[in-house]
Amino acid sequence: MATPAEQFRRQSTAIQRREKVIVFFLRASAWIILLAGATVLGTIAWKGAGTLLQPNFPFINITFLAEAPQTLHVFELDGETVEMSDQDFREFRAKLAEEAAASGESAIVPDSTSYVYAAGGIFPNIVGTLLLVAGSMSIALGLGIATAIYLSEYARQGSTVRFIRLAILNLAGVPSVVFGLFGFGMFVLFFGWNVSLIAGWFTLAFMVLPVVITASEEALRAVPQGFREGALALGATRWQTIRRAVIPHALPGILTSSILGIARVAGETAPIMFTAAFIMRDKLPWEVDRWFDFFFQGVMALPYHIYVVSSKIPQNEYSARVQFGTALVFVLLVAVIASASLFLRHRIRARQRW
Amino acid sequence: MKRFFDTELETFRSDLVLMGETAVRQVRQVLEALIESDVNLAQQVVTADDELDQLELKIDEEAIRYMSLRSPVATELRLVIVGMKASHDLERVGDEATNIARRIPRLTAEPPLKPYVDLPKMAAIAVEMLRDALDCFLQVDAEKALAVCQRDKDVDEINRQLYRELSSYMIERPETTSRALELMFISKSIERIADHASNIAEEMIYLAKGEDIRHTEHTRNPSAR
Amino acid sequence: MDPTTTESPSPTTPAAASADAGRPAIIEVEDLDFYYGENRALDGVSLAIPSHQVTALIGPSGCGKSTLLRCFNRMNDLIEGAERTRGTVRIRGVDIFGPEVNVMELRKRVGMVFQKTNPFPNSIYENITFGLQLQGVRSKTRLDEAVERSLRAAALWDEVKDRLHESGLSLSGGQQQRLCIARAIAVEPEIILMDEPCSALDPVATARVEELIHKLKQEFTIVIVTHNMQQAARCSDRTAFLYLGKLIEYADTQTIFINPSDSQTEAYVSGRFG
Repeated sequence: MATPAEQFRRQSTAIQRREKVIVFFLRASAWIILLAGATVLGTIAWKGAGTLLQPNFPFINITFLAEAPQTLHVFELDGETVEMSDQDFREFRAKLAEEAAASGESAIVPDSTSYVYAAGGIFPNIVGTLLLVAGSMSIALGLGIATAIYLSEYARQGSTVRFIRLAILNLAGVPSVVFGLFGFGMFVLFFGWNVSLIAGWFTLAFMVLPVVITASEEALRAVPQGFREGALALGATRWQTIRRAVIPHALPGILTSSILGIARVAGETAPIMFTAAFIMRDKLPWEVDRWFDFFFQGVMALPYHIYVVSSKIPQNEYSARVQFGTALVFVLLVAVIASASLFLRHRIRARQRW
Repeated sequence: MKRFFDTELETFRSDLVLMGETAVRQVRQVLEALIESDVNLAQQVVTADDELDQLELKIDEEAIRYMSLRSPVATELRLVIVGMKASHDLERVGDEATNIARRIPRLTAEPPLKPYVDLPKMAAIAVEMLRDALDCFLQVDAEKALAVCQRDKDVDEINRQLYRELSSYMIERPETTSRALELMFISKSIERIADHASNIAEEMIYLAKGEDIRHTEHTRNPSAR
Repeated sequence: MDPTTTESPSPTTPAAASADAGRPAIIEVEDLDFYYGENRALDGVSLAIPSHQVTALIGPSGCGKSTLLRCFNRMNDLIEGAERTRGTVRIRGVDIFGPEVNVMELRKRVGMVFQKTNPFPNSIYENITFGLQLQGVRSKTRLDEAVERSLRAAALWDEVKDRLHESGLSLSGGQQQRLCIARAIAVEPEIILMDEPCSALDPVATARVEELIHKLKQEFTIVIVTHNMQQAARCSDRTAFLYLGKLIEYADTQTIFINPSDSQTEAYVSGRFG
């Protein structure tokens, strides 16, 4: 017989060795994911920073955030390479022409190479994306929560509801381009909304609805049954119960899951390219004649802009700058929206905890 | 924390005290009736025994109810058990008093055999024992209860002495046999009352300390029982 | 048992024997059958529950005691496939399964306290006023009054009066259960149903709730489901033993615990069932 001291002595058994190998693989996979994520975001941040930041005050490239995309003109002047946006270039030419006219000489216009969208900024795109996110998430949350409440609180839990749930889950797996085509056929053509904000809203909303419904149902289910029974036992109607004892406590959960939806809505290109996105638009969304025109105008959007500048125009160092700058702004925007929802959720959670 | 059924326990206690008082009263009165040859008083004692019987029933009912519904433990449990036993002892005390009372008319019909000296002395000790035993219940005093048990010996001694004395009477003057026998029974009854008082005292020790000291050296010499 | 001895002569002891005598029945169950889908939960149950008394329903798990309790405020309606197939439940003479019965009104008059303490994760104050606000009571003074009255009735006022606006979940388990009782009291019901109210509580909290139950029967009729035999014995005036959906025995608590007439009841109350 071994003495107790010997029994408990550290020794490596086969089981413990296997344990170590398993932990190694688990840890390795976590690190690989982290590395991949860091590489993607790092590249965007590194390359995008060149566009978004500048060496002198105010250190952030205000022009990039506050102006519309323009064509970039690059030309040689007095032996130096000058980059000028379309607007500046026009003024420059006008000035040259004026000077030439004054001096009676013929204007010497320098030969320029033009790069489309490489100058100016992405302000309308940011605005467009924010509008798309706000509108589509409102529609998706409204419809989604309503559907979830009906399915999980009111509907008879039979095979019909199970089938509906399955269908909704399957919908989440449909490629986004299919939603884009559906939106094009349904809203743009059949409803005659043309390429417009509202068509984009509904298309994006339908795309994230499965996520919102599933997550909302999950959040509703997570509310303890006791709250419902407690309210009902006090003589509350079904709706009073849901309104006062269920939804307030399900809201944090719904918000958490809708963050995923926000990222998706903000990032998807395919659903909006047929339904809502313009490559270039001169007016900003609020510059409309009649208020309802607001809903029926197309908008520019960040992901579509990235798509356009990285695949629809000739590639060169100037377009690369815009690509990464836009990508960085997009990532930051999504991060800001997500943090805002997290903050909101935290505020609600802090008030109500069970 | 005070519980709503605490009042039931209070009722139980006060019923038990009431029963004790009644038993002591019965013993005192029957003794008075004997000494004063008061047949009426003796009859009163016989009639009043019913009070004790009813109290015993009531205490038992309360005890059973309390045990079955309130699930008492520890001191409460001992109190309820002891209460039941003590009420039984008190009821027996009452019966002994009645036994004595029933003999009084026959005794008073004839002239007294001898002056009552030993019987009152014996009875006084028995009553005192009963009193003390009941005090022990109220004060939860184990020491005093032990003293009660030990006094039982004195009563036994007087009883034996009386027995011898009355036996010699009977041998010397056979015509006194019936009276001597009556007195012997009365003496025996008083001795029984003292025994019951002693039992109650033992029960009070159990109530106070949770120790059962019956049939041990503490209480009495083994011949007494 | 001799009927004269069951009569408690002392006025201070609760007169158990008077539970059926002289007290009108507030809930009358007649020949009630209840099904969950194919499963019969109640089988021809008939009993009359006296007002201003505590009636305990006991029996092994699945015997139908909770089902019976939940019939009294029709909480079973929420369960799919749950159906009363036969019999009636009358409260104050009104058949509560009748077509003209408003279930919400019924539940206001028949309050309920659950096994798992379920205060809403809001403040103590909001918990109490929940039921009144459902009824559209807005007056601050009325709500304040109701809060104090209910908390006092639930013996919780002194413990929480300085923190009415803290979360109900900050209370201990026993306090939470008393808060739930206060919440039920706030809507001024006639009957309070309690479904194993102490099963999650420690002995001290249990004792407090039992004290409360004893106090509340002055004002309310209480029906309590419990697995704790001592609790049924301590708190209740009448006890019903159910087994396999049938009412096996229903009598004074004292009779059930001292001299049950059915051998199954005897086996159950003495812990030798099965």
